[in-house]
Amino acid sequence: MSAPTQDPLTLSLSVNGETHEVRVPARKLLSDVLRDDIGLTGTHVGCEHGVCGACTILIDGRPARACLTFAVQMEGHEVTTIEAVGRPDTLSALQQALHEEHGLQCGFCTPGIVVTFEHYLRENTNPTAEDVRDVLSGNLCRCTGYQNIVVAVLKAAARMRGELA
Amino acid sequence: MKPAPFTYHRPASLAEALTLLLRHGPAAKPLAGGQSLGPMLNMRLARPAHLVDLNDLIELDSLRVTEDTLEVGALTRHHRLANAPEVQRSLPLLGAAAASIGHYTIRQRGTIGGSLAHADPAAQLPLIAVTLGATLVISGPDGSREIAAADFLQSIMTVDLRDGELITAVRFPLPVGDLWAYEAFSRRHGDFALVSVALSFSRDAEGKIVALRLGLGGVDTVPLRLPEIEARGQGRLADENTIRDLAIATATAIAPEDSEQVPAVYRRELAETLVVRAFKAAVNREEGA
Amino acid sequence: MSDGFTEIGRALPRKEDRRLVTGRGRYLDDLASPGALHVSFVRSPHAHARILEIDSAEAAEMPGVVGVFTGRDLDHMTTRLRLAPPIEGLQPTELTTLPINKVRFHGDPVACVVATDRYLAEDAAECVTVEYEQLRAVTSIAEAFAPDAALVDDSLSSNLVSHQTLSVGDPAARRAEAHRVVEARFALHRHTHVPLETRGCLADWDDGRAHLNMHIGNQVPHPLRSQLASRLGLSESQVTVMSPDVGGAFGQKIALYREELTVAALSRHLCRPVRWREDRMENLMSAAHAREYECRTRTSVSETGRILGLELEIDEDFGGYCFYPANYMARVIALIMTGPYRIQDYAYEVRVALTNKCGAGPMRAPMAITSWVMEGTIDAIARDLELDPVEVRRVNALGPEDLPYKMPTGEILEDVTPRETLEMAVAAIDVAAFRERQTQARSEGRYLGLGLCTVIESTTYGSEFYKSAGIPGSGHESAWVRIEPSGVVNASVGLMGTGQGYESPLSQAVAEGLGVRSEDVTVHMGNTDIAPYGMGSRGGRGATAGGGTLYLCALKARERVLAIAASMLDLNDAGGLRMRAGQIERMIGDDWQKVGLALTDVARRAYLDPLVLPEGIPPGLDFSQSYDPPAMTYSNSTHACEVEVDLQTGAISIDRYLVAEDSGTILNPIVVSGQQQGAIAMGLSGALLEQVVYDSSGQNLSATLADYLVASPNELPEFEILHHHTPNRRTPAGIKGMAEGGVMGAIGVIANAVSDALAPRGVTIKRLPLTPQSIRALLREAAPSSMKRTQS
Ligand SMILES: Cc1cc2nc3c(=O)[nH]c(=O)nc-3n(C[C@H](O)[C@H](O)[C@H](O)COP(=O)(O)OP(=O)(O)OC[C@H]3O[C@@H](n4cnc5c(N)ncnc54)[C@H](O)[C@@H]3O)c2cc1C
Ligand code: FES
Ligand code: FES
Repeated sequence: MSAPTQDPLTLSLSVNGETHEVRVPARKLLSDVLRDDIGLTGTHVGCEHGVCGACTILIDGRPARACLTFAVQMEGHEVTTIEAVGRPDTLSALQQALHEEHGLQCGFCTPGIVVTFEHYLRENTNPTAEDVRDVLSGNLCRCTGYQNIVVAVLKAAARMRGELA
Repeated sequence: MKPAPFTYHRPASLAEALTLLLRHGPAAKPLAGGQSLGPMLNMRLARPAHLVDLNDLIELDSLRVTEDTLEVGALTRHHRLANAPEVQRSLPLLGAAAASIGHYTIRQRGTIGGSLAHADPAAQLPLIAVTLGATLVISGPDGSREIAAADFLQSIMTVDLRDGELITAVRFPLPVGDLWAYEAFSRRHGDFALVSVALSFSRDAEGKIVALRLGLGGVDTVPLRLPEIEARGQGRLADENTIRDLAIATATAIAPEDSEQVPAVYRRELAETLVVRAFKAAVNREEGA
Repeated sequence: MSDGFTEIGRALPRKEDRRLVTGRGRYLDDLASPGALHVSFVRSPHAHARILEIDSAEAAEMPGVVGVFTGRDLDHMTTRLRLAPPIEGLQPTELTTLPINKVRFHGDPVACVVATDRYLAEDAAECVTVEYEQLRAVTSIAEAFAPDAALVDDSLSSNLVSHQTLSVGDPAARRAEAHRVVEARFALHRHTHVPLETRGCLADWDDGRAHLNMHIGNQVPHPLRSQLASRLGLSESQVTVMSPDVGGAFGQKIALYREELTVAALSRHLCRPVRWREDRMENLMSAAHAREYECRTRTSVSETGRILGLELEIDEDFGGYCFYPANYMARVIALIMTGPYRIQDYAYEVRVALTNKCGAGPMRAPMAITSWVMEGTIDAIARDLELDPVEVRRVNALGPEDLPYKMPTGEILEDVTPRETLEMAVAAIDVAAFRERQTQARSEGRYLGLGLCTVIESTTYGSEFYKSAGIPGSGHESAWVRIEPSGVVNASVGLMGTGQGYESPLSQAVAEGLGVRSEDVTVHMGNTDIAPYGMGSRGGRGATAGGGTLYLCALKARERVLAIAASMLDLNDAGGLRMRAGQIERMIGDDWQKVGLALTDVARRAYLDPLVLPEGIPPGLDFSQSYDPPAMTYSNSTHACEVEVDLQTGAISIDRYLVAEDSGTILNPIVVSGQQQGAIAMGLSGALLEQVVYDSSGQNLSATLADYLVASPNELPEFEILHHHTPNRRTPAGIKGMAEGGVMGAIGVIANAVSDALAPRGVTIKRLPLTPQSIRALLREAAPSSMKRTQS
């Protein structure tokens, strides 16, 4: 029974299509490594126990909690964060719809929501409001009451299907 | 809320994983989806010195259907279970239960092996496994063994898993009744159920209940299958009277924990209600209502 | 007054959205500070215990650890917090920065570990051993007031930390002459704010300049800076508070907390930047809690349900520490209780208890229970007298003929419309049709209920209010507006947004006053070196105090701009001039016409050619203004809600939710509707799901987000909002303020709707939250035979 090592590991992580070398201990959460070591602070931390969804990122294109993932696990995988989803001058369909429909207030929950649906709307192009509420249940928002977020997701989906300008 | 230090291992094969687990004994813990272990590590409720990451063992992310078994590899994610056509065809109850676990994002990572090993008394997959009499395949230093899910789950978060062992698969016997339902009650969408019911049966030519399976989650330290209630229902028509009788008998048969926050009497009431609803859902589904 | 606005009232999308939706917002933890040290607090596992010894020797030797500091250490670095406002019945209290002799709740910080990173700090915090002598924990109001109760604060004479009474008119006489005296009870449970971003700070002491830069998400940067300076023995010139983007606050980010003061003191002590990011368990256990009240009303009524007199008792569980004067929240409840109704004979008694729980503070709508108590009382009257609850409301509601109305507590209501919003809501929900559906459903064994709740929301507290409350302090706000040489407009105000979306509406207030487009105005907030000294964001004062002050300041700027323009146009005065979208216009005939002069031209002259400015006009275009709103401004609304209660499980589903709201002149309808929805959601989430739970030994059982349940989208309805805008004639632009009434209405309306649904079962809701298990318990108690339920 050997004691755990505290020594930092050198990791090579692929995040948003770029490779980053970081030296971090094995126990360091992916959320912390993204934020502190790679400087991508759009991934937020709201609970560190998997409930709030603020830290949601994509692992190989599928949503996951960065707070329940260790950075060391991500070698050989592709991580996508909110920073790759759109820019202030070129919003994604969902970001644009959230802006138009007032689907955010403090914005702390927003990156997690955008990232989750970034994936979901690709696999589910025509969701109902009920589907959206079901998926959204994994992302707590304390400010909005969710109604406008649901409207925005449906609007973005319609636009992505080409049904709405 | 940061985990205590650990040494990380990433075995490339099952054999390597088993070797690592054996070498580090009780100081090691396997890591699958991390959706239960992650919070426990962050809160330092678990502090293994060695973490053995199973995520590269993709051969354990598998579904195999034969005439008499649906075999689910331990690393199969809830999302896959919820959506795989072979599960929907052979065991829709399992798919429906998996689809109700937590939230969409949680289901992308969480695995069946992790869920069984974690053994939350209100979790979906242990309940389905117990109700349908599933068998776990466990690999360890002495090769592999099989154990009934009901024997494997011993108490709250306590299972029959020895040092150096891993769950590799869960085998669900086939066929099961063609009528089924999973009914759960939780205070908030996606939360662990306060009480849940898994039900499976068929009706014979005269409309009588056969092959009845009834299990309850959240009413004891482990999910319960209730053979006495099953026996009571066999051969009866699935009508109002039978359903009510079985529901009341169920509520009487269980002895849930009594706490100030969730009194035992409330769990009993829920059990009764959910049994009724499960039967109705099963029958309605068949009748296309 | 509200007509003719071009910028105020525009549905201008929020300016902050683009950065926030793309993850480019900058919240506290996003600020880089190379070499910053991290802290982790050692917290008490006990609710009430004497601290015998703290041994940090082992922790101090651990990797990365810079130091471990206790209450004794901090006592040398900071002054104590003494709260002793001259308020009758309020015991003065004094607090050290960290506890020295005893802990008063589960989660109380007893030591602070400073290390090079948070992981190492937590490792060391685990190794600090504290020896405690456990004391009996006081975990309820009843226990606190018991004759042999343990003392929560050893320096006080009892746990009754605050006690006030008032009697106006002659409620006892009204009782004697009443047709009936109706009694009702209301118990609201402990909540907590749960901003999605927890608390935290980054303190950076600049030793050379002897200056503290304090980065902290906070609603009131200037008052916080004053506090911080005084507790650190510094002058206000030595402290800059900077509030970055904030991920929600809801009242939890007003006070200077002990942890934050500790971090600031340690940055100064160590001459290093030090940061703290509260984790969620700390947030749920130790940040601030709210709303734990027990209220009783006794109402004297006539045969028609007319209220002749009202007597109210309020008991509050304030927790272990006073970060605010203990009468602070309960007093407002008592003050505005009569709200929308004509009541002149009124008495109250308010008692506040210290207990071994986390200290209480204001949470979005600190007076939230008010509407439930008053409207639940109205429903109790209707039930008792077998009258239609709508009629009882009508008989008592204030109408236009009653205004201005002096409430028995002396508060003045004017420009409010409770009867109008009631009628709007009643008509929109179609009460008659609902009653038919309800009867039909009952015959099928389904239980539908309709609730109504009219709200009078106190929004903005002026200085007059504080003075009459005996609290030293001001309700004013300050602003500056500066037109730059290029003609763009910068402005600032003492508020600090925490997610509401101030940037658009406040720029609209400036744009309206000045005559430019909101897009050309930038409002800077949160940095005390930039912002003028204002009282910050709390309650619903943002629009009235903040927007109002900016508007007045912009009017002042406009006057100057037009004066310069007049001189540039060779006019004698600015009488026939105005500015729209930054263009000077002149009234020619009956038409406003552009004259080819823009704000840019005026600005250029003011800055670059000042010698030709008209006499008496100084160079530059820099303006400041402060404004003290009326003693109190009010908005009002009526909420209506239809529910169905599942008798088998006790689950409640909301079939329909609507609110008719009058919040006066609205700066930006997008932001206002967001605030309405968010406030209702918070109220419903609180009434249905949330609850801080302490067991009988004072252990907090709700320290994770899996235990403290915040609503997901699946528990919340769609909100229908009906608007009614009656401007306040005493405030700039008729602004009233809003954003808390939704909480008040939601709590009351859902409780009333469930009582209505369960009336045939003899169940009335007297206690929240409305958990399914509590509903089942009520049904069992009401009719033991309901155990044998008929399944449907
Ligand atoms: C917000 C949230 C909501 C949730 N809601 C639900 C819910 O409603 N219902 C529900 O059932 N679950 C719920 N979960 C838990 C989720 O289903 C987990 O995925 C599951 O319980 C554990 O699976 P895992 O793969 O994540 O295991 P891990 O978390 O990786 O591991 C869990 C335990 O199993 C052990 N383990 C893992 N794999 C193996 C193996 N092959 N052999 C032996 N031991 C193994 C680990 O050592 C650990 O002790 C929720 C989780 C979260 C974060
Ligand atoms: S921070 Fe990861 S889910 Fe809340
Ligand atoms: S916008 Fe604040 S938490 Fe969602």
